[in-house]
Amino acid sequence: MKSLLFNAIDTLDPQFIQQAPQDLWALISPLYAVDEEQWLAQLLPLAKPSQAELNNSTTAATTLIASVRKDDNSVSMIDSLLLEYSLDTKEGILLMCLAEALMRVPDKATADAFIKDRLRVADWASHAQNSDSFFVNASTWGLLLTGKIVTMNENKDGTPGNLVGRMVNRVSEPVIRKAMNQAMKIMGHQFVLGRDIKEALSRGNSYRDKGYTYSFDMLGEAALTSDDAAKYLKAYQSAITAIGQDNASTRHSDTSLPTISIKLSALHPRYEVGCKARVMTELFATVKTLIIQARKLGVGITIDAEEADRLELSLALFEALYHDEAVRGWGLFGLVVQAYSKRALPVLAWIAALAQAQGDRIPIRLVKGAYWDSEIKLCQQRGIHGYPVYTRKESTDVAYLACAHFLLSEHVRAHIFPQFASHNAHTIATIQCLATQLGATNKAFEFQRLHGMGDALYDNVIKGVDVCVRIYAPVGSHKDLLPYLVRRLLENGANSSFVHRLIDASYPIEQLVHHPVTTLESRKSLTNPHIKLPTHLFDDRKNSFGPNIEIESDWTPFKAKIDAFMDTTPNNLVPSDSTQNKPAKQWRAYPIVGGQPVTTQPSNKEQSHTVLSPYDHQQCVGTVDWATATTVTQAIDLAAAAFPKWSATPATQRADCLDRMADLMEDNYPELMALCHREAGKTIQDSIDEVREAVDFCRYYAQQVRSHFAEPSHHQDFMGHTQIVQHIGCGVFACISPWNFPLAIFMGQVVAALAVGNTVVAKPAEQTSLIAARAVELLHSAGVPGDAVHLLPGDGATVGNAITRDTRIAGLAFTGSTGTAQLINRTLAARGVAPIPVIAETGGQNAMLVDSTSLPEQVVRDAMRSAFASAGQRCSALRVLFIQEDIADKVIPMIKGAMQEQTVGLPYLHSTDIGPVIDQKAQKMLLEHIEDMKKTGKLIAQSPLPKLAQQGTFVAPTAIEIDSIGQLSDEKFGPILHVIRYKAHELDGIIDTINNSGFGLTLGVHSRNETTCARIASRARVGNLYINRDQVGAVVGVQPFGGQGLSGTGPKAGGPHYLHRFTIEQTLRSSL
Amino acid sequence: MTTVMQATMQKPATPLQTAGSVFEAWNALGFNARAHALVQAAQSLPEQPQKMALWQLANAQKKLAQTQTMPGPTGELNELSNLGRGCFLCLSLIDPSPIGQSPIDHSTEPSAIGLAGQIFTALVTGNPVITAGQVGQILMEAIAPFVAQGVIQHIADSELDATIEASPLAGIALLCDDAAAVNAFNMRLAAKDGLIAQLVAETNSATLSTIAQPHYALRFVTERTVSINTTAIGGNATLLELGSLNEE
Repeated sequence: MKSLLFNAIDTLDPQFIQQAPQDLWALISPLYAVDEEQWLAQLLPLAKPSQAELNNSTTAATTLIASVRKDDNSVSMIDSLLLEYSLDTKEGILLMCLAEALMRVPDKATADAFIKDRLRVADWASHAQNSDSFFVNASTWGLLLTGKIVTMNENKDGTPGNLVGRMVNRVSEPVIRKAMNQAMKIMGHQFVLGRDIKEALSRGNSYRDKGYTYSFDMLGEAALTSDDAAKYLKAYQSAITAIGQDNASTRHSDTSLPTISIKLSALHPRYEVGCKARVMTELFATVKTLIIQARKLGVGITIDAEEADRLELSLALFEALYHDEAVRGWGLFGLVVQAYSKRALPVLAWIAALAQAQGDRIPIRLVKGAYWDSEIKLCQQRGIHGYPVYTRKESTDVAYLACAHFLLSEHVRAHIFPQFASHNAHTIATIQCLATQLGATNKAFEFQRLHGMGDALYDNVIKGVDVCVRIYAPVGSHKDLLPYLVRRLLENGANSSFVHRLIDASYPIEQLVHHPVTTLESRKSLTNPHIKLPTHLFDDRKNSFGPNIEIESDWTPFKAKIDAFMDTTPNNLVPSDSTQNKPAKQWRAYPIVGGQPVTTQPSNKEQSHTVLSPYDHQQCVGTVDWATATTVTQAIDLAAAAFPKWSATPATQRADCLDRMADLMEDNYPELMALCHREAGKTIQDSIDEVREAVDFCRYYAQQVRSHFAEPSHHQDFMGHTQIVQHIGCGVFACISPWNFPLAIFMGQVVAALAVGNTVVAKPAEQTSLIAARAVELLHSAGVPGDAVHLLPGDGATVGNAITRDTRIAGLAFTGSTGTAQLINRTLAARGVAPIPVIAETGGQNAMLVDSTSLPEQVVRDAMRSAFASAGQRCSALRVLFIQEDIADKVIPMIKGAMQEQTVGLPYLHSTDIGPVIDQKAQKMLLEHIEDMKKTGKLIAQSPLPKLAQQGTFVAPTAIEIDSIGQLSDEKFGPILHVIRYKAHELDGIIDTINNSGFGLTLGVHSRNETTCARIASRARVGNLYINRDQVGAVVGVQPFGGQGLSGTGPKAGGPHYLHRFTIEQTLRSSL
Repeated sequence: MTTVMQATMQKPATPLQTAGSVFEAWNALGFNARAHALVQAAQSLPEQPQKMALWQLANAQKKLAQTQTMPGPTGELNELSNLGRGCFLCLSLIDPSPIGQSPIDHSTEPSAIGLAGQIFTALVTGNPVITAGQVGQILMEAIAPFVAQGVIQHIADSELDATIEASPLAGIALLCDDAAAVNAFNMRLAAKDGLIAQLVAETNSATLSTIAQPHYALRFVTERTVSINTTAIGGNATLLELGSLNEE
């Protein structure tokens, strides 16, 4: 556990924010994923009330809830919908699915099929079994099916179950579609203040008369293209103009004028840490124009919160803008801080110091945070060492109160204007008590709530006290509403949520007014035991770790270690140009036989090969000595001789070697990443993923060996006799691996073979032998005997051929092209010895099917990653994107726009999305294919290439529209995406075409229609099917990977059957 | 110059084409339904082949029928299941009896046990089967009434070569004590273009040291991973629940 750089309680000392902002800045990042237990223990005292304070806040909250419940108008239509279809019920989720997708489906046939699918899979009738909720339920259905609230009469309409059943059965899909669309509009009306800013301002007047004010939000998700960003900018500009005009003519007091909330990710297509340079220039300029306009018109601006990865970026941009002359002296430029973030408190302290230094008060909206679930998932996927958010709801509530305590403290109030956004009666009541206790008047802060939520609650708040309440109100077309709506409903629609319980009259008030500190302190642990840390995701093995490259405290020290191996100064030029004294980091690879290097004189150009970086052929990475046929024979001699001993080594000892190897790779992470960059041209995240996969292979196979291969097992044979069966290794296994995963696949094959007792001769791809040599050295350090694994670098003709012709080879694992697999298989078969296990993982012609129910933004993101990540050099990469024609004209321009924003460049830079292809041969083949396709297809877009591309082997990511998959002969292993439009009714034909291609590796599907997904899943003959996500990055033990047909023999790497194929099942004893 | 009109009559389907046409439906039927049909089919077999058939069915069901949910991050569902690879040719080369002799007897029994093991395993794992020879004929006749037409076919020895050379043949399950003959099959399959066909050879008809092993059925399946992003629609409701779950 790391020691913290400061104590949370120190922030309450007025001296704390007297520190220089840059000193306080340094406290933020280290808390990114700080130990939760340790940090919460520090936060609790800031939130903990005295007994008297506790009594006060409990009484205030009880009174507030009681008066809300007394209010006849407290249960709105949306509330009743939430009450019955809470989002922890299947039907609640389905209802939202329907709501989320239906309005964007342009074609009737798909919409009707989608409705049918949703209505089919849920038990709607069960919701009507509860007579108490009958009218709510029926009203909901009435709302959904007819577009207006209908009063249901139980006597007239029959039992609830019948009613729902009748409604669904008697009305045909087109009628339902119409009604649903209408109902969605009504829901939209509830949650969106206006379709444009004028309508919003006009509709807001009645609330303003009641004493509320507004912060307007222009609906929309993050921009993917510069066109999107320009569209949002225009929307913000016209909104600011309209709000400004309204403010000027308002009859309302000017102390609480409406403001506007701005989403940075909507204003720039690449609002990411990797694109910081662009953000700090391009986005800076964009936001500054908005600030100038808004300030002129007296419209305050609040910068909305983004995901945890972008917090530091948002703060950096905020700081730059805040210091700009456009903001100096204004006092209405604020931002949102999320209390669920472990970094929230130092962020607030830093902001207070900024404000103090400049003298302009900063409005801060304190929210609990809206992306909790995706933050958790992302960290689990990336193997981050912890979470940036708390794992218990009450911990977020505690952090919220701790932050509130800081914000309401006298020394902070002068610099920050706190805006407390909450729909929780207890939070609201507690903040009011806290304000009184700290001497803050009602003018020193305000509350905020969402449009369409918490009406009754805040009506009661403003009835009693003169405090400003601002409504955060989305403005925009109803079809942009749904992602926002689903997010809001998720936050508040679960059974356990406060909003849900508040309106549920049967829920006792005393249960709603527990202080979060009391609740949290009553737990056995401050962390939530149900949510395991990312590194503890698996019960039986450690998950691989990955640094978060978006976070300064994680990435900067890690990068420094990699940089030690990078050395991209001129010293590192090819040897002939090397005139300076300082030697560059150079690696050496050579055959390692019996644990000893077999080196060649550098003058022997036949055997000794210089390795140049694919991104810069002036950069030398090292030298590789190739093996000769004689070396191959020597290695096999030793491996064969070593087999009995290694095979007899207890399986648990072999597993221990694998675990040590995993740890050693993590210890040598920086060097391995540098090798991935320099030898294989891999980008930063790709290199992290590479090492992680290799580590996972080791730990997964070690665990498999311990669980299933360590001891003989008992079976009944077919005659009913008891058999004792043991798995033993086959003998000398040959492992022939590719360059595209030079560490992961190489290690995966080798350690699988070793784990079950085989000895190994391994031939890495000739392009990536340096990293393989380093891996074999580590393997020996991990305890694998020198004569149990041998490295044989070289080409296929000499080394590969010599290995596969040797009659002692007892099994082979190969990953590479289908053609090479066939050649190897023939060589093996021609040896005149018994057939051996051949595990071949080969190519694919991978497709993604996208129908019109899918979310275009998500499709574009996933298709881009699937096609272009790793420069398309993954077996799993997307090659053919099938888009339903009804949405093609929307999606294709988005792909084009997003491709313009991709950065091709040096792989070791954070700003680079796509690096080089592996070598000139690959480059030539890909460029020729692009030229061919330009003639027969229609070029959609090519991402721009940088000038430095000439120094290496780069291929511009390219998207081409073609008419049919028949125009493609074989797999093109690079960043080329083919796009085909299809008609909805042609789906089965497309699956047939994909099946008939013979390849069967990965397939992506984007559809909200589960029936469609299930149909594709049942028909498509592919090894890995990905639904509503990208189709690359299979995780060991989670998504076992491998194809069928022309794409491979199986079993799947990283799956439970893989090791079996490396063994022989031997009957030790059979008895009656 | 005379023009020869092409006959418009369609050629009859080859055994492999027939198998290909029923593969999807047979595979989609699922382990349980296939096992149910095959258990019935096994009833008419003599004792030992029947035991072998039932043992393979039970084994495959126990080890391969269940779709396995893989552990992993919240908000995604990852499932691993086993499917048939495609058409298997199941052959016994140890059948000494001339065609047309009596059903399974002492001399044909080892062949029948081995072949039953191959055929029932190939079928229950979702593959259509083509077989040949006298014992193959008997097994085919026992099974055919319980499965859809084309799921199991018997071909004449004269059709064997063409079937072995045709594509896409997923593999050959071979019962053959002659190592040289096995190697010859191996070379023939390796020489083919297209997918790498599996040769699942049993070279010890006396002990059935391959067929009678508990993981034999693995050779007949292909695995499929389905990964669903369950947060794509409506967020991660399950995780939200966990966030407010009490451990007490």
